[in-house]
Amino acid sequence: MTVAAGIGYALVALGPSLSLFVSVISRKPFLILTVLSSTLLWLVSLIILSGLWRPFLPLKANVWWPYALLVVTSVCFQEGLRFLFWKVYKRLEDVLDSFADRISRPRLFLTDKLQIALAGGLGHGVAHAVFFCLSLLTPAFGPATFYVERCSKVPFFLISAIIALAFVTIHTFSMVIAFEGYAKGNRVDQVIVPVIHLAAGMLTLVNFASEGCVIGVPLLYLVASLTLVHCGKMVWQRLLETRNQSSASR
Amino acid sequence: MDRNQRPRSIIDSLGEELIAILTPVSICMFTVVLLVCILNSDPSSSSSASFSSIATEAYSESDSDSSWDKFVGAFLNSLVFVAAITVATFVLVLLFYLRCVKFLKFYMGFSAFIVLGNLGGEILVLLIDRFRFPIDCITFLILLFNFSVVGVFAVFMSKFSILVTQGYLVWIGVLVAYFFTLLPEWTTWVLLVALALYDIAAVLLPVGPLRLLVEMAISRDEDIPALVYEARPVIRNDSRLVQRRVWREQRSSQNDNNDVENRTNRNEVVRVVGSAEVEEERVGSSERAEISVPLIDRRPDQAENSETFLEGIGLGSSGAIKLGLGDFIFYSVLVGRAAMYDLMTVYACYLAIIAGLGITLMLLSVYQKALPALPVSIMLGVVFYFLARLLLEVFVVQCSSNLVMF
Repeated sequence: MTVAAGIGYALVALGPSLSLFVSVISRKPFLILTVLSSTLLWLVSLIILSGLWRPFLPLKANVWWPYALLVVTSVCFQEGLRFLFWKVYKRLEDVLDSFADRISRPRLFLTDKLQIALAGGLGHGVAHAVFFCLSLLTPAFGPATFYVERCSKVPFFLISAIIALAFVTIHTFSMVIAFEGYAKGNRVDQVIVPVIHLAAGMLTLVNFASEGCVIGVPLLYLVASLTLVHCGKMVWQRLLETRNQSSASR
Repeated sequence: MDRNQRPRSIIDSLGEELIAILTPVSICMFTVVLLVCILNSDPSSSSSASFSSIATEAYSESDSDSSWDKFVGAFLNSLVFVAAITVATFVLVLLFYLRCVKFLKFYMGFSAFIVLGNLGGEILVLLIDRFRFPIDCITFLILLFNFSVVGVFAVFMSKFSILVTQGYLVWIGVLVAYFFTLLPEWTTWVLLVALALYDIAAVLLPVGPLRLLVEMAISRDEDIPALVYEARPVIRNDSRLVQRRVWREQRSSQNDNNDVENRTNRNEVVRVVGSAEVEEERVGSSERAEISVPLIDRRPDQAENSETFLEGIGLGSSGAIKLGLGDFIFYSVLVGRAAMYDLMTVYACYLAIIAGLGITLMLLSVYQKALPALPVSIMLGVVFYFLARLLLEVFVVQCSSNLVMF
């Protein structure tokens, strides 16, 4: 509606990631580079997906199953890329460890690895928020606002910012879960991440029903808080484990 | 856990120089996008009137021409512009060869003053007009004059605080880039591609002017007189003291060794990506021709594999990175032109340019010789712009307008 509203919507979607960035990521240049490269990876995946789906667009407005197909294919592709990202990270971790050995510095700590995973997840989340929410916010800086019929209680910009915030949370923390799951070979963690992503994508399809966003968005936030809680529990356990190990070995 | 006692991890300081050069590039691009959004969003303003310069000599685009006409016209424009830049670079090489360094420095200072005063003044007037800011002529002229003079001194005398110098360099880049975005659309894109190709030719061909310039500078061990952004490196000892290394000290220690290949200073990475600014004749408003000087790497061969890999991805342990102002300007022109279409293309092009810069630094460490800095980023940026415009936008707008996201 005005510049203030536009900035407000942008901060709703990206505020927590901004504070995460300033407090954790901006301290270490390597993490900033990780954020940038994972953002780039997400963008490339989105371009490939849009290239694949371009002949079939524009989809008809009221039929929901093409969108379901779209969401399923996109989520599968992105999860596949997440695994690839993990492989590249593993190689980089080996290089960093041998470099650390050479300059006689300590190898990567557990917190370093968790921070790198967090930075990777934040990159994905920020890319999602930027491309799905911020890039459409340009009219919000002008004098008017916009409503869609499917969700007529709330301006379109606000509802897309709220959904983007949920997805940012999901992307950020599921990357930490995924990396720990791949590192430890923990099946539960490895499987839960694609499941969460798919569930979240499917929940947005609920928005197709008239006034569906009243149900869809709170459920989405439920999924996001589940991700947060699971990630928190997992990280806490790992940190306790490591501390017990290091105090036992002294 | 006691943070003070824990030894510093390696990821604390890895990649610092890369970030030190990415930050000003990002700031420059962000400022240009902001200016484009503010100054071009008002459809009733007449500032989109003809911007005539040497880059529109051959053909002025108008909306009624067909696509093929526009393309041919843009191609002719870029040919003229690249020819002008080539001539100017050869003149620069000749002057450098005849050791007229003082004249070159004076000329650089003069052109910096013109950019800051004239182009800066025009932009400030446009901004004042847009925001209805109450200020009178005389105050404005006095402030502008002081600002420009301080800028000239900051850029050419090295006794200023590094932040002030860097700020002025970024601001000069922003000003020139904004004026380049006022060119007609087709001309801008074809010009960017033509400049990227010219950069490859000028640096890698044996007869290329930039290669001659760089070789002369290396053999005489002098600085190329140019507007170059320097990110001061920071070195750490084990006692965790942080010192700012004045990179000229390191360079003077190389004067004893005349052989370029056998630099024995192991921890030295001097990467120079320079550009020289030459002023073109002004028609209507001012025009800048940019010349990019290639990346030079003077590091001896490293035997260790993982360290080479880390150096290769730009995360090495030491070095002074300098980036020429021409590269700042053309990256910002690309992003500014993308901003005229939509913000989605801006994000896509920004990421592409950053990726291109990273790839260029990687290639530099692999090939260990002079490399041009523009082509990879510009090509990636142009590709991503067209992909985003044609493919991505339809897809994303389809999804988010139905509130379907993943």
